[in-house]
Amino acid sequence: MTTEILAAPLVVEFPFTRSLGPVQSAFLTGLRERTVLGVRTTAGTVLVPPTEYDPATAAELHEMVQVAEVGTVTTWAWNPHPTGKPPLDRPFAWVLVRLDGTDSALLHVLDAPSPDAVSTGMRVRIRWAETRTGAITDIACFEPYDGAAGPAPRDHAGDFADAVSVVTLPARLDYTYSPGRAQTAYLRALAERRTVGERCPECAKVYVPPRGACPTCGVPTGERVEVGPKGTVTTFCIVNIKAKGLDIEVPYVYGHIALDGAGLALHGRIAGIPYDQVRMGMRVEPVWKEGQRWPDHYRPTGEPDADYDTYRELV
Amino acid sequence: MSKEPVAVVGIGQTRHVAARKDVSIAGLVREAALRALEDAQLTWADIDAVVIGKAPDFFEGVMMPELYLADALGAVGKPMLRVHTAGSVGGSTALVAANLVAARVHGTVLTLAFEKQSESNAMWGLSLPVPFQQPLLAGAGGFFAPHVRAYMRRTGAPDTIGSLVAYKDRRNALKNPYAHLHEHDITLEKVQASPMLWDPVRYSETCPSSDGACAMVLTGRAGADHAPHPPAWVHGGAMRSEPTLFAGKDVVSPRAGRDCAADVYRQAGVTDPRRQIDAVEMYVPFSWYEPMWLENLGFAEEGEGWKLTEAGVTELDGDLPVNPSGGVLSTNPIGASGMLRFAEAALQVRGRAGDHQIPGVRRALGHAYGGGSQFFAMWLVGAEPPAT
Repeated sequence: MTTEILAAPLVVEFPFTRSLGPVQSAFLTGLRERTVLGVRTTAGTVLVPPTEYDPATAAELHEMVQVAEVGTVTTWAWNPHPTGKPPLDRPFAWVLVRLDGTDSALLHVLDAPSPDAVSTGMRVRIRWAETRTGAITDIACFEPYDGAAGPAPRDHAGDFADAVSVVTLPARLDYTYSPGRAQTAYLRALAERRTVGERCPECAKVYVPPRGACPTCGVPTGERVEVGPKGTVTTFCIVNIKAKGLDIEVPYVYGHIALDGAGLALHGRIAGIPYDQVRMGMRVEPVWKEGQRWPDHYRPTGEPDADYDTYRELV
Repeated sequence: MSKEPVAVVGIGQTRHVAARKDVSIAGLVREAALRALEDAQLTWADIDAVVIGKAPDFFEGVMMPELYLADALGAVGKPMLRVHTAGSVGGSTALVAANLVAARVHGTVLTLAFEKQSESNAMWGLSLPVPFQQPLLAGAGGFFAPHVRAYMRRTGAPDTIGSLVAYKDRRNALKNPYAHLHEHDITLEKVQASPMLWDPVRYSETCPSSDGACAMVLTGRAGADHAPHPPAWVHGGAMRSEPTLFAGKDVVSPRAGRDCAADVYRQAGVTDPRRQIDAVEMYVPFSWYEPMWLENLGFAEEGEGWKLTEAGVTELDGDLPVNPSGGVLSTNPIGASGMLRFAEAALQVRGRAGDHQIPGVRRALGHAYGGGSQFFAMWLVGAEPPAT
């Protein structure tokens, strides 16, 4: 039997909603209109991107100002191998840019041929995206610039027609997930349609699925114990609404099943009997389907129901 | 050296709704914080530290939101920490803040909890497609509904109890201007006619999904002396945890909950909670959890909790009102839900609960739980300072 530990990719991806509030709304709508807005703090400094609250005094900020489209790189890092959906399809520099007349730096991308062409203190300007929607990517990138200094910040009402107030920002995380030694052994046994747990050397309870340790006694578990295949329905509910991503006709029964010999119940679907005839204490057995890792469902064995006292500790 | 007595001198919350599209997350927490400061008549400069809590980061998709919220909460240059214990987090956040005051680490602490559920989808956040794990065949309600059936089997409770709780909590919410659900035309018949989602749990017996925040200002004896309104004093507070699943887990009455309550009562000198506590705010996301927690928290013997509900004892005018605010069943910004329970208990003993004020509350319990009945947090607050 192979002892290789299983591993598989886990991708977490979701289009998150961002309610912007007044300051970020003005900032992003401004970018759509090729207007860079900052905010003036209590002390009179100008922050780009603007913050809603003064970092020094916590005061609510609302005095927007329009600032220059040119500035100075305050620090940078070269990105030789852009991955995912990079802002540029070729190597580029991540840069912090202090736009002329402002007191904070904006994180963005600098289009440069090589790291030799990038330096702290270099002058850059905004290259606007062709299509702008009210997003930080309305600035396509920064590019080297050798012209005159930008104009000083000037007051701006921050009011735009059809302002952007809510944006959707997809996010994605890529992980490699490994279920570990105990679960790997459990899954390999499942592939042979056997359910194998691990017994705690102290309390003697059999964990299914095993986690490699007993959470009550705090000791490793190692002794493998086959349980089931029959078991008892300890409790259940009747599901009347379709769960997202599950292709099961409703109503169906979702139950807790204590396999014979297991120290706790696992969960599964109960079928092979009308949904309104499922009972606590009903004896069931797994029904396997080709190509499925877990039993497709559990069906009645026809044995008499288990007495409540025989499984009440497992509810 | 004895502990510093802890007083709640300021409480603030947002009006809870399905989606606060008009504010950022920073704007949302700010609103609750300013109301708490206003209640305490304090400014940002009076706050020595900020303790913030919320449920999993995937609920908004902002990793470590406390970093970005420091400006909004006046925390720059001050200690700021974030607590996370799933749905109980609002309660444990308040307890971490209270412990900092009790230990005299900080004089006055702002504590805040929030959730902006509209930015993501909590069900998605709780059901990531983890490889090799059997998918749960039901939603959050489907996870808890079998536990409810187990309770009914164990106690012989009639199947009408859940609807009584929902009807009560939704009516209480009508008296709470901050509550999310205001169902003015609610009737018991409507609750009982609502669709059965996860039998035995009906649609009207489940909590909504809300955007909202709650904040409190906690301080010691000197701070309480200067408070413009009567403070609520912390007489006991405790947290307990246990795994979601383990051999011997009692899903109906988890041991961690029983132990947590016992610890709080011991600290507060409570020997008969049913008689010595005047009001309870408990975390009831599915209505059947009211009778379940009544037993778990020692207000009723095992198997007797549903009888209190059925007899009207837990109604606003009953002799042990439960969830006068309308509870989680009426308002559920998950991360804030625990703190809302703690805050409502404090409002009741301060006499500042407005239309849902219960007359003469001297002691009230705030309760929260989270995960798969995995984390518990509770505090008992009183109108008088604790005996030293």
